[in-house]
Amino acid sequence: MEVEKNEEKKIIVAVDESEESMYALSWCLHNIIVSQQISKSTTLVLLYVKPPPPPYSAFHVAGYLFGNDVIATLEEYSERLVDSVMSKAQAICMKSNRNIKVEKKVGSGDAKNVICGTVEKLGADMLVMGSHGYGFLKRALLGSVSHDCAKHVKCPMVVVKQPKNI
Amino acid sequence: MKVMIALDESKGSFYALNWVLTNIIKPRTAIVAASQEGGEEKEDLVYLVHVNLPFQTYVYPAGPVIYTATSVFESVKQAQEKISAGIFARAMRCCEDMNVKSEAMSLRGEPKEVLCQAVEENHVDLLVVGSRGLGMLKRAFLGSVSDYCAHHAHCPVLIVKPPKDLAHQEEEGLQKNA
Repeated sequence: MEVEKNEEKKIIVAVDESEESMYALSWCLHNIIVSQQISKSTTLVLLYVKPPPPPYSAFHVAGYLFGNDVIATLEEYSERLVDSVMSKAQAICMKSNRNIKVEKKVGSGDAKNVICGTVEKLGADMLVMGSHGYGFLKRALLGSVSHDCAKHVKCPMVVVKQPKNI
Repeated sequence: MKVMIALDESKGSFYALNWVLTNIIKPRTAIVAASQEGGEEKEDLVYLVHVNLPFQTYVYPAGPVIYTATSVFESVKQAQEKISAGIFARAMRCCEDMNVKSEAMSLRGEPKEVLCQAVEENHVDLLVVGSRGLGMLKRAFLGSVSDYCAHHAHCPVLIVKPPKDLAHQEEEGLQKNA
């Protein structure tokens, strides 16, 4: 099980709006990707999963509950969210290691399925998640995304918790 | 960086040990050797932990409670110590091959609590558990120990699942022995 120095490694970091996932990202950069040599052969994939689109459409049975404007605004909001999350994440990457290859991926739907699916599709070598992997709205149930991913994902996975004394 | 690994007799935990050594520790020791900076402590230390379940002082057959005799205690304890020693010997050899300092700890108690406590006491930076890292747990779901540790340990937790062929090999081995 020797890892050759030239072997390409893919590390997926699941990010979202929360501080915990940003901390997980910076933990990964400090502890896993420690040298220029490693950062040259490693690809860091930032995966953001958009919350699933609301289950109602403009053509609701009970009438036009939501017009096109609202839908458009919702979509614009989620786009802005994606941009802000990705720029934050990228800022962290820039700060620590300049030469690492960073790829951005955005998925939408159920976080656990998207994350596990992406891991398989990309053949990732490692998955890194914060302990609160999903959005701020579902904080009450948040432990469950990292829990579910840990159950299903096929590659080694790190769950990073933010230490409480910060 | 201090890494703590939970071990048992299964191949899965040794796979986890090798994975960590190859992918996380080896690159770091390479840098330490290359940069040779003094002062800051950059050496990695690996804690090898084997947790034995607590002794049951009594067994419940269908009828009345029977207390286990001290001689039974002794023989169980000795058997467990032998198993632990075997596991530690293998693991320490793996670490030595990679030039990594390692320390063996044999603990007794409820695995999840003991692991989380050990993490706190030793200020560990990373806890590594196999997907079946402590004892025979069902393959259908992630074992409760790794799940508990992932959410309760005070440090990042790395969960390493053995690849399918390794898991199949173990299953066949178990079925043959059963």
